[in-house]
Amino acid sequence: MSVETILIVGGGISGITTAVEAAEVGYNTVLVEKNPYLGGRAAQLNKYFPKLCPPYCGLEMNFRRIKPNPKITVYTMTEVESVSGQEGNYSVRLKVSPRFVNEKCTACNACAEACPAERSNEFNFGMDKTKAAYLPHVMSYPMRYVIDRNACKDNSCDKCVKACKYNAIDMNMKPQTIEMKVGSIVYATGWNPYDASRMDNLGYGRVKNVITNMMMERLAAPNGPTGGKLLRPSDNKEVKKVVFVQCAGSRDQNHLNYCSSICCMASLKQATYVREKVKDSQVVVAYIDLRAPGKYEEFLNKVQADQNVKLVKGKVAKIEEDKSTGGVIVEFEDVEGGGKTHERADMAVLATGMEPCVKTNSMLSFEENGFINGGTAAGIYSTGVAKRPSDVTTSIQDATGMALKSIQSLVRS
Amino acid sequence: MAQETVFTPDVKFVRELQKAGADTLKKCYQCATCSVVCPLAPDDKPFPRKEMLMAQWGLKDELLKSSDIWLCHNCNDCSKYCPRGARPGDVLAILRKTVIQENAFPRFMGKLVGDPNNIWQALLIPIVLFLVILGVTGHLHIPEGQVVFSKFFPVEIIDGVFVPLSALAVGMFAVSISRFWKNMTEASGMTPKAEFMPSLIETLKEIMTHSKFRKCDENKDRSVSHALVFYGFIGLAITTGWAVFNLYVLHWELPYAVDEHSLAIFGGSAALAWAYKIVFKLFANASALMLLVGGVLVITNHLKERSVETTTSSFDWLFAGIVLMVGVSGFLAQVMRVTNFPAALAYGTYFIHLVLVFYIIVYLPYSKLAHFVYRTAAITYTKMLKRDVEM
Repeated sequence: MSVETILIVGGGISGITTAVEAAEVGYNTVLVEKNPYLGGRAAQLNKYFPKLCPPYCGLEMNFRRIKPNPKITVYTMTEVESVSGQEGNYSVRLKVSPRFVNEKCTACNACAEACPAERSNEFNFGMDKTKAAYLPHVMSYPMRYVIDRNACKDNSCDKCVKACKYNAIDMNMKPQTIEMKVGSIVYATGWNPYDASRMDNLGYGRVKNVITNMMMERLAAPNGPTGGKLLRPSDNKEVKKVVFVQCAGSRDQNHLNYCSSICCMASLKQATYVREKVKDSQVVVAYIDLRAPGKYEEFLNKVQADQNVKLVKGKVAKIEEDKSTGGVIVEFEDVEGGGKTHERADMAVLATGMEPCVKTNSMLSFEENGFINGGTAAGIYSTGVAKRPSDVTTSIQDATGMALKSIQSLVRS
Repeated sequence: MAQETVFTPDVKFVRELQKAGADTLKKCYQCATCSVVCPLAPDDKPFPRKEMLMAQWGLKDELLKSSDIWLCHNCNDCSKYCPRGARPGDVLAILRKTVIQENAFPRFMGKLVGDPNNIWQALLIPIVLFLVILGVTGHLHIPEGQVVFSKFFPVEIIDGVFVPLSALAVGMFAVSISRFWKNMTEASGMTPKAEFMPSLIETLKEIMTHSKFRKCDENKDRSVSHALVFYGFIGLAITTGWAVFNLYVLHWELPYAVDEHSLAIFGGSAALAWAYKIVFKLFANASALMLLVGGVLVITNHLKERSVETTTSSFDWLFAGIVLMVGVSGFLAQVMRVTNFPAALAYGTYFIHLVLVFYIIVYLPYSKLAHFVYRTAAITYTKMLKRDVEM
């Protein structure tokens, strides 16, 4: 008889979906997330394509499904340390890092106000700072603050503890180890943006106004570092002209050898951010091929119809700072028009691809590009971008399917 | 209706290119990274992206008449950044080799020298020729006594072979180049904006300073090794002319003994005679050394860049090898002569040296060395069109 629990590793949109779907059929699910909040990369997006709705709406619906359901256990700030056993009876050890804030937290912000220390805000890709006592983002689940002990000025500081009226801060929390038995496991470990500084010719890290597409999502987001204004990093001037650099490190044997499949649509979507937020703005998208399959073609046609959006075939291979304006000079060959083009703009957005987070694990088998095929043993599955580069819709569909697969595994064993 | 353009892909040509070493050309997916990272490609109709497409389609005519492929100095910045490993730099090198071969006059010489598989036949020609001449003139034996090369291979015979054959090579080359020039200028479809002579002078200046070469990022070292080989060759050409002057004008014969005759040339001053001799020897040896060091650097750079087993640019490999061996054999021959090495070895080395010199001089219009004329012509024409990048 198998253990009737499914472990889901990764609390992004895919992991949440698998957990909720399986729990709502009546199976116990344990959702493990290494960040202090659920939602993963989707939580960092400003809008989804092609409907251009904010992801918070979908995430909130999911959080409302998690909260009242006793079948779902959520562990944040938790990583899987080891897995052993076989289908139907896996022994799992989890390591929970201390949050230093307990369930009494009401998210009143008093601790952050009292806190004297600051830390770089990785949720916004370092484009702003938070206090050492902080809420990861406005829709965090659980809605609870975190203390970044590495950012604290010194270990004796207890200003936040004193400021908290609810006794929610406990500086003596220790790392915890949790052991449990599960029947099947789904890896929904997601992706990281490819490190843009590795393309030395594209200037990221050297030219100030070169950012990545994920940074663009944060710039455009109302809860982002600029409150949703498209300000370029060097001088906070509103951008009038933006160049999108497609396949920045993707389809490139020196970097990611595969197509990340979403960057074309992401850049077309971000073109609409620029066009809507800034009057008379101009957008150039320089691509090798435009990939907008199936129903997405309609979205492409809509963006293409905008006179101020120019889609040019030719890969950007050089970006330099424009010393006279502080902007960027983006160089590509206009393959259809002929000739090298030196496009001057306020900002360049690198459409960097998706790299799988988990690259080595003896329990998992990987395909040639490093994405997870599944387990080396039965009863272990993968979903979302951990499995293949895909958009949110496709990830959710796959994650629903994987809920069924993992349930079948329990029933079978 | 849009105008119709008909392309007739020459599949045979594509296969030939692949076989010659451009085996990566089909990997190109036309992203144009190469055209942008190339520091030598002009903004208007840059290379090598368009050449990669033409090569994939087998557009032989367009490619063989192109001046752009000669603007490329094979620094391989493009190959480094190519996301597909299509190695545009190597493909262009093979295209240049093909141009040399296709314009060869007579045609069979292009095949003989251009295809590295025919190297033994190509070397056999001078070997047999020299042996026959030595046999007929009664010199086919190892001379007794101190090693003096002219005892084995008299200077008159060397001059008798090399002078007419060099003249023939120059004549053949002139036919090839005029054919190339005609094709290139007709195919460009553009009207020159500058005169020939100023463009040529500017081109020669560029070549002397290697300024184009030094624009490379990926292979900066190559400009150094190429400059060494280049100036080594020029130095040795001057040395040869100088030796001819000594022999036929001063009537001072090898090995330039400071005797009554030579003292008479220098007005009886032994110091002057010695100084002249030493300067001559130093100049000759410095040139040979440059060729030798340059040759070694060329080969080590090649090794650093790509593994030996690729067929890629075996044409380049072959020539680099011959240049190095000319330097080595020449140097060794001199050392053996001075140190009175066993005669058979010294004369044998000298014989090999002469065979390789024959290869370099007589095969000039067909070997990799021909590039210096093709390239000069193409860059000059590009400058006439005002299409070249500013240095």
